[in-house]
Amino acid sequence: MAESSGAGRSCPGAFARAWAKAVSGTSYLPMTQAQLEALLQRLTGRLAAAIQSEPFDLRIGQQVGAELVQAHIASAEGLGRTVEVIQLRLVRDLGLVADDVEDRMARLLATVATGYARALRDRTLDEQESIRRAAMMARAQAERALRESEARFRHQATHDPLTDLPNRTLFTERLAAAIAGADRVGVCFLDLDRFKVVNDSLGHQIGDLLLVSVAQRLRRALGEHLVARLGGDEFVILVESTAGTDDAVRVAEAALAAVSEPALVDGHELTVSASIGIVERPAAGTSPMELMRAADSTLHWAKAAGGARWSIFDADRNRRELARYALSAAIPAALDRGEFYLDYQPLTSLRDGRVLGMEALVRWRHPELGVLRPDSFIGLAEETGLIVRLGAWVLAEACREARGWADVAGDAPFVSVNLAVQQVRRPGLVDEVRDLLRRTGLPPGRLQLEITESTMMSTAEEPVRALRVLADLGVRIAIDDFGTGYCNLAYLRDLPVTELKVAGEFVTGLRAPADDPASRTDERILASLVSLAHALKVTVTAEGVETAEQAERLRAIGCDAAQGWHFGRPGPARQHLDRSPALTGTTV
Amino acid sequence: MQRPDWAPDTIDIERPSVARMYDYYLGGSHNFAADRAAARAMVEAVPEAPLMAQANRAFLRRAVQFLAESGVRQFLDIGSGIPTVGNVHEIAQRIDPECRVVYVDVDPVAVAHSREILAGNERATVIQEDLRRPAEILAHPEVTRLLDFDQPVAVMIVAVLHFVPDADRPEEILRTLRAALAPGSYLVMSQASDDDRGETGERAEAERVYRHTDSQLWIRSRAELSALFAGFELIDPGVVWVPQWRPESPEQAEDAAKAVFIGGVGRLGG
Ligand SMILES: C[S@@+](CC[C@H](N)C(=O)[O-])C[C@H]1O[C@@H](n2cnc3c(N)ncnc32)[C@H](O)[C@@H]1O
Repeated sequence: MAESSGAGRSCPGAFARAWAKAVSGTSYLPMTQAQLEALLQRLTGRLAAAIQSEPFDLRIGQQVGAELVQAHIASAEGLGRTVEVIQLRLVRDLGLVADDVEDRMARLLATVATGYARALRDRTLDEQESIRRAAMMARAQAERALRESEARFRHQATHDPLTDLPNRTLFTERLAAAIAGADRVGVCFLDLDRFKVVNDSLGHQIGDLLLVSVAQRLRRALGEHLVARLGGDEFVILVESTAGTDDAVRVAEAALAAVSEPALVDGHELTVSASIGIVERPAAGTSPMELMRAADSTLHWAKAAGGARWSIFDADRNRRELARYALSAAIPAALDRGEFYLDYQPLTSLRDGRVLGMEALVRWRHPELGVLRPDSFIGLAEETGLIVRLGAWVLAEACREARGWADVAGDAPFVSVNLAVQQVRRPGLVDEVRDLLRRTGLPPGRLQLEITESTMMSTAEEPVRALRVLADLGVRIAIDDFGTGYCNLAYLRDLPVTELKVAGEFVTGLRAPADDPASRTDERILASLVSLAHALKVTVTAEGVETAEQAERLRAIGCDAAQGWHFGRPGPARQHLDRSPALTGTTV
Repeated sequence: MQRPDWAPDTIDIERPSVARMYDYYLGGSHNFAADRAAARAMVEAVPEAPLMAQANRAFLRRAVQFLAESGVRQFLDIGSGIPTVGNVHEIAQRIDPECRVVYVDVDPVAVAHSREILAGNERATVIQEDLRRPAEILAHPEVTRLLDFDQPVAVMIVAVLHFVPDADRPEEILRTLRAALAPGSYLVMSQASDDDRGETGERAEAERVYRHTDSQLWIRSRAELSALFAGFELIDPGVVWVPQWRPESPEQAEDAAKAVFIGGVGRLGG
């Protein structure tokens, strides 16, 4: 192309101009008309020389043909028009003379066509080769990009974005493979202790950085063992091909040590601890799900024991917990089937021995386990919230039965029903009680609601207002287990309380001989409690009274009433009612 | 690097590529059987198609020459195609070897081919991107490495806009590009049009041919293309049939009657 820019060097003659006109449009020519004409002017000179050369030089024509192709006059039409214009005009326009001009012209055209065709063929093959290579490179590039994006996608799907540790998906996959490939396998569930405090006090960003640092330390300390993050501050470690429990314990200890290293996180020196639940067992017959679940509940044992430790899975303990759980799950159906019933224990006057009231105690006649006492299911019912339904049933049943007592005893005792904190907090409590009293016809004064001291203390304003409404209706309000909790008499002034039930612990002291100093102290505490209560116009009932001596000493210090084996064990209402009017002494 | 979602999973040379069909119109052999079959079908519908492609390529050459001679030293050629003959960097660097050129094309084969041609040329490069993602083009590391947007840049969108339907908001694409340019920058555009060609049925035929290729045809009128120069001052003679844009000889302009491409050059003032 460089030579073609020789425009103006020699003015294009008529032939070169005609030639340029003939070939333009046959293919794209990347040059101006002037450049094209100058090129063809130069080639015209060579053609003229070829016609006249002696002897005839084959190479010149071939070179001209090749040069045309190089200058991108490169198409079948380009050749055709070139042959035509040379044959028709070259000799005439340039006024050339030679002996055998026709013969020479034929040979010249043949050599130009040969050079042209050869160059065009080479050029075509080169271009085909280069576009094919480009297609291959593009394909390789596209496939590489696809593979990379698939690998990236797979990584994203199997790793936790914060710490880049494997996530639950990958862990479960690897655990399943480990179960399939070895005799025994271990899993350690790890959870940071009080991580929430870090988050709440230093912010989530620091919390996240701490997690990243813990992840790094675990990965470093545990080497070949797979560490995954399950979410939050929960991590899990796979201990493959264990020989026994010790192998898993060693890994757990290394993990605890790694976590407890002090770490500098964004300028804060943070020291955290962790709890770990370990499961290690034969691979046969277990599944990833089962192992994870077992490790998770074992982790909670370590937490419950105060954290900064590992616990190892204990099948018996797990069974007990599962049984407890199963029991609570059975409560709703048991209610529907009427498996619950009430026993009563009398609250007896220390002044005249009359049964003043009876505390309702719920029993479960379990079809397989026999009669269950409240301590085996009330705690669970409270945890699961089922206490609301169960408590409502107890309250209704107690009111219904107590209404019937008036038919037996003229001056019938009140019924005392325990309320759980969830029941007290429920907005509908007042309506529920009012409705019950209306439906059963039980006078409000014959219903006492027992609320524990801690419920009272933890209760907000709204529920207290509800209790006040109930008290105004005439319902009795008792503080149960008084003295075991916060024990602040001051609040009694503001609460609508009618009665204190002093916890059994205080009364136990009174069993010792009266000259025992510890016993004397308990007695004095009780005495001042009673006088304080009386000053606030609140009566006092002592719980857990088991002997006549206790009863006598309580009576002596002015205690109003007592409850306990000495006065009657829990049983059907009937058995206490029969005794109610019997004006026996304090010893029954 | 994330694989752009518009990039194909693999290369299908059975599917006609508008880049390679264009190479065929220009007389090149950088094409495959499917490209040639589609190009021949197009020539059957519009016999002048190869001449029109040549006229467009000549317009591109004259425009680059004009810009380089006006002092522009940076070129962003979007939809640059298969580097056949008379590429922007060849024209510009012949005037000043310091000229810098970035080629952009969606066609992965065109890009791979360009990469090979440009190997060793430190002032020219190619990226695979889509005109419809102007922000990504402008932010591409190769673009920011080679081009200084504080200095004038010539943006070339030559024989490409007829592959961008109105639904892809060409006016927004151009607004984004314009916002990145310094005063004194230029915009060169051409595209297929059927103004004044009457009802010959050619347009429907051409659209049918291109329906089987990797890009669909979207014909615009001179008024529509002029509107896309919004914000630029059109250089004389404005948006015209490409042979009429600053022809080098009167004969060149004669082809205008048969032209199919309209084009123009705009300058960013200020
Ligand atoms: C007809 S060629 C034009 C080549 C060159 N600009 C010229 O005028 O000589 C059109 C090119 O635009 C490319 N193209 C089509 N749509 C595109 C898009 N959306 N973004 C970038 N390039 C595109 C095609 O791959 C093809 O290479």
